[in-house]
Amino acid sequence: MSGLFQEAILISIFAATLRTMTPLLFSAMGELVTQRAGIWNMGVEGTMLMGSFIAYFVATSTGSLWLAVLAAILAGAVMGLIIAFMTATMRVDHFVTGLGLNLFAGGITLYWFQSYVRGGPQPSFAGFEDVPLPFLSDIPFIGPVLFSQRLLTYAALFIVPAIWFLLYRTRYGLELRCLGENPKALDVKGLSVPVRQYGAVMFGSAMTGLGGGFLMLAFSDRFIADFSAGRGWIVVVALIAGNWKPKGVLMAVVAFALLEAIATHAQVVGVGVPRQLLLALPYLASIILLMGVRFRTGQPAMLGFPYSRE
Amino acid sequence: MIRIERRIDANPWWTAGTLVAALAAGMLASALIVATAGADPFEAFRTLFFGAFGSQKAVMTTLIKSTPLILTGLATVIAFRAQIWSIGQEGQVFAGAMAGYLGSQILAGLPPLLFFPGVILFGVAGGLLLGGACAILKTRFGVNEIVSTVMTNYLAIYLLSYLLAGGPWAEIGDGASYQQSVPLPAAEQLPLLFGTKLHIGVLLPFVAAICCAVMLDRTALGYEIKALGTNPVALGHKGTNIARTIIAVMCISGGLAALAGVIELYGVGHRLKADNLVGLGYAGIIVGMIGGLRPLGTVLAGLLFGGLASGAVSMRVVSDIPASLVPAMQGIILLFVLCASVMARYKIVRGTAS
Repeated sequence: MSGLFQEAILISIFAATLRTMTPLLFSAMGELVTQRAGIWNMGVEGTMLMGSFIAYFVATSTGSLWLAVLAAILAGAVMGLIIAFMTATMRVDHFVTGLGLNLFAGGITLYWFQSYVRGGPQPSFAGFEDVPLPFLSDIPFIGPVLFSQRLLTYAALFIVPAIWFLLYRTRYGLELRCLGENPKALDVKGLSVPVRQYGAVMFGSAMTGLGGGFLMLAFSDRFIADFSAGRGWIVVVALIAGNWKPKGVLMAVVAFALLEAIATHAQVVGVGVPRQLLLALPYLASIILLMGVRFRTGQPAMLGFPYSRE
Repeated sequence: MIRIERRIDANPWWTAGTLVAALAAGMLASALIVATAGADPFEAFRTLFFGAFGSQKAVMTTLIKSTPLILTGLATVIAFRAQIWSIGQEGQVFAGAMAGYLGSQILAGLPPLLFFPGVILFGVAGGLLLGGACAILKTRFGVNEIVSTVMTNYLAIYLLSYLLAGGPWAEIGDGASYQQSVPLPAAEQLPLLFGTKLHIGVLLPFVAAICCAVMLDRTALGYEIKALGTNPVALGHKGTNIARTIIAVMCISGGLAALAGVIELYGVGHRLKADNLVGLGYAGIIVGMIGGLRPLGTVLAGLLFGGLASGAVSMRVVSDIPASLVPAMQGIILLFVLCASVMARYKIVRGTAS
């Protein structure tokens, strides 16, 4: 095996890592905001699936990818509205709400999809293409890895510092973190807890919808059942493993994306391990990762507890 | 003046009333969903319910379809009553079918009276181990059970996919592309009840439901399960080993879900294939919750959703509406039932505050 070949494989793996982490990163940063506000959203998977399906539907019926991205964001926000209504207004258990939402999304996307296709040939679309940045993409090694990606991947890299700034350097971020630690303090000051929780959940879910949309528009050309295939759950794991801090969550997401990129490349290179076992790696890694996480210092104190004045 | 007040006592009629209202609202919302896809809701529901309960053959299909749903529903009841949010039923169904199939290779040739109990035990053990493993991850390593059970679901699904696609249990030849095992010989299929099309396994959910009801209401373990769900701190002070109770709950729950998988293999599918198993576990969560996390309610909810699953087939044939309407309906109804379960804890009071 020549050095050139090895370098090409490495470039391909790292480029794939960035591509793979894009949807996870959008969703994880959104859900970080949601969870810091005290809502333990377990409906990430269903929200992402909904974003993917709506993106597919709009992309194939209008032909506009950017309209599809917008629709996926809106679909995520609507899912967030349902979650917020059930957790902040009805005060249903957060876990059960998430489970319900996932089952709802799994059923309804499949029904809409089958109704849309109706046994005919499945419409497909041409997804997002790489946008190499001028000059920068010509840098050896770093260029093809970092500067020859989809536009939304560049955007995802800016999301992490933006969310960090929002959470730790703005008044809104302070209130948001207070929601998760001590909502009563806000209530006593006369600031509405439910209004802020609605905002946080809808923002987080919109970001997850965007992640689902990107997953559809950059990785595939058609929808299949259970399209998101557990990526929403990987986001939930990344938040716990990242100790609810932007940098930690980023590192967890990068680790998952790298693992997936290696697994897909191992198939191409032809490692003597069955395909299904490689695909199962991220799920196995999640369990092992969580077994190792002994500290939960960053977990918001009131995460998962419905707030009520009583 | 009308006010809404928190209930201190639970009123079973009010609870049942909110549940029925939620079912009705869920049906109505489902009708709207049917309309969004450009189909006629009345036609959809007519063919759906006729296909579920409209003839003797339909009722038999309903019974067969509800068998695994009641079992995975009961698995949900046991776990959720203890406030352990295990959603591993899906993977445990797969584990039950895989372990049950492994049993057939070891026990092949035994007389039926030994063979069937043997393979069923194999299957149940598979789900029990999977559930128990997630319980130990929770008690020993503090891994959230929702996350661990989701991950093991994917692991079980990929393992079956590996075993059947090019793996050791794959059917060689014409069927190779279908990802399935060779069919079970006739002697290894569950016997039918008195010349009907019902396999003998349809009796199991009812037996299991009675056992669960007795266990929850009449035994020390049942008391501990309920106490774990309502007041784990007090349970700990009483001296109960909470970790052991959690492990017991997850093992029983896993075993029940696995029973669904092994019965489906030996009674209905007669060969190992993912298509026969997929969704049974997730649907069981809905069935258990709509059954109010009670064994009897779960049997009723299981019969209802078994009916919808059976009716979905005729709906697709007669009205050309996708059968996946049923999982969509299940999800919608669940969201309404969750809201209703909160409503059930409140009451509407006339008059001024006392």
